[in-house]
Amino acid sequence: MDDKELILKAQQGDKKALARLVKEYEQTIYNFAFKICRDKNKAEHIMQETFYSFVKSLHQFDGKSKLSTWLYRIVSNHCLMLARKMKNRPFVSMDDDDGLFEEKYAVDWTTLPYKSAENEELKKILDNAISKLSPEYRMVFLLRDVEGLSTEETAQVTELSVPAVKSRLHRARAFLRKELNEAFQG
Amino acid sequence: MKKEKVTCKEVMRHICDTLGEDLQSDRCEDIRKHLEECSGCQNYFKTVEITIDYYKKYNVKLPDGAHERLMKFLDLEDCD
Repeated sequence: MDDKELILKAQQGDKKALARLVKEYEQTIYNFAFKICRDKNKAEHIMQETFYSFVKSLHQFDGKSKLSTWLYRIVSNHCLMLARKMKNRPFVSMDDDDGLFEEKYAVDWTTLPYKSAENEELKKILDNAISKLSPEYRMVFLLRDVEGLSTEETAQVTELSVPAVKSRLHRARAFLRKELNEAFQG
Repeated sequence: MKKEKVTCKEVMRHICDTLGEDLQSDRCEDIRKHLEECSGCQNYFKTVEITIDYYKKYNVKLPDGAHERLMKFLDLEDCD
């Protein structure tokens, strides 16, 4: 049974179909929530709230967008709500991006010991770099580059215009690359 | 009017914008040529790609018991 059939059945009150949909997407949603908030407990809480919202509003889903896009929209909103509650955290300003394109350190990345992202030291560097980005920038980078949504889908999920998505993506890519380069320099 | 020379900074900006795609216009042609000849910009391009790849491969698995807790939270534990 594909997603469309499962959604239809779930909308008609079939709890088994609903459970199958939840099971199909729980890993994706948990993983995405973790990538935004970088905390396992918070990610689980966000995942629960996301599926609760999903169940409550399932009758409104009209199938015009992909179910995954719709779920990304719900999980993104929950991530932003949580981030706004913790508003005392300072994030890097992206108003002036000129400095992002200046190379202070020449690092040869090909000689780095990190052959996979499973390396704990690398994970710390990645966590540290992305944590400096505001959740709004993080969201665009993760949806477009990491989760592989199109620019248009990313705009739909984040309720931004396509040029705004492109601008945030451009700065987020440059910022993260610069942060990693500086961290690798040691 | 003389066309301004492409700078490394412009190429870096372009890389972050398009990841090397969409190199069709005249200016893009200049950027592509610069990229072919400048090892610094080639390296920059590669490292932007590696940055994205690192984040793509950094995934976390659902913790033990999280699925069961979710089903209970949604009142779906009988349907599993």
